Amino acid sequence: MNLWLLATALTSIALLPCAAMCLRGSPERRLVGLEMTSMIVTIDMVMFVIGSGRLPFIDMPLALAILSFGGGLVFTRFLGKYL
Amino acid sequence: MSAHQITTSVLLAIVVLLCWVGSLGMLRMRQPTQALHYLALPGMSTVVLAAAVFIATGNSNAAWKTVFIAATLLAINSVVAHATARAFRLRQLGHWQPRDGDPIEFVRDTQELEQ
Repeated sequence: MNLWLLATALTSIALLPCAAMCLRGSPERRLVGLEMTSMIVTIDMVMFVIGSGRLPFIDMPLALAILSFGGGLVFTRFLGKYL
Repeated sequence: MSAHQITTSVLLAIVVLLCWVGSLGMLRMRQPTQALHYLALPGMSTVVLAAAVFIATGNSNAAWKTVFIAATLLAINSVVAHATARAFRLRQLGHWQPRDGDPIEFVRDTQELEQ
């Protein structure tokens, strides 16, 4: 295990509070938890790609970063209007 | 251990710490709008991460894509945080524009929530 994979594992621990936030509480709190999760997972994926040495896979966190924008806005709009 | 490895270690430690503080801070806040502020910390850590990737891989394609990811997350974070706060206000008040008679702060008191 190299330094990057260790950092990936340690950052993954930060997903536990996000899971706690997403799984209980009001819809507003759950949405904030979801947005934090998408950000931390993107960071995690970048570190995993560098740590595993498969640099072409850097496109995956790039796609996630862009798609999480659309996903977050859809949930936000839905929460504000319908939920 | 070379200077490169030490610098990378320090930068990665900062990234991990920012993610932890952001995540735990978000969980600790009572109000969703307060928790929303902690989204900025992992957003800032992407800049540090991009620096670490540059040091580790040099002037590579992956490094520039990480810079693009950092820029994207920073830009997205501000837009999504604003849109989310606006949705919270819309959900609570039924409108997001300020109107006569609106409370100055739409965030309810903690005491009011506990009742």
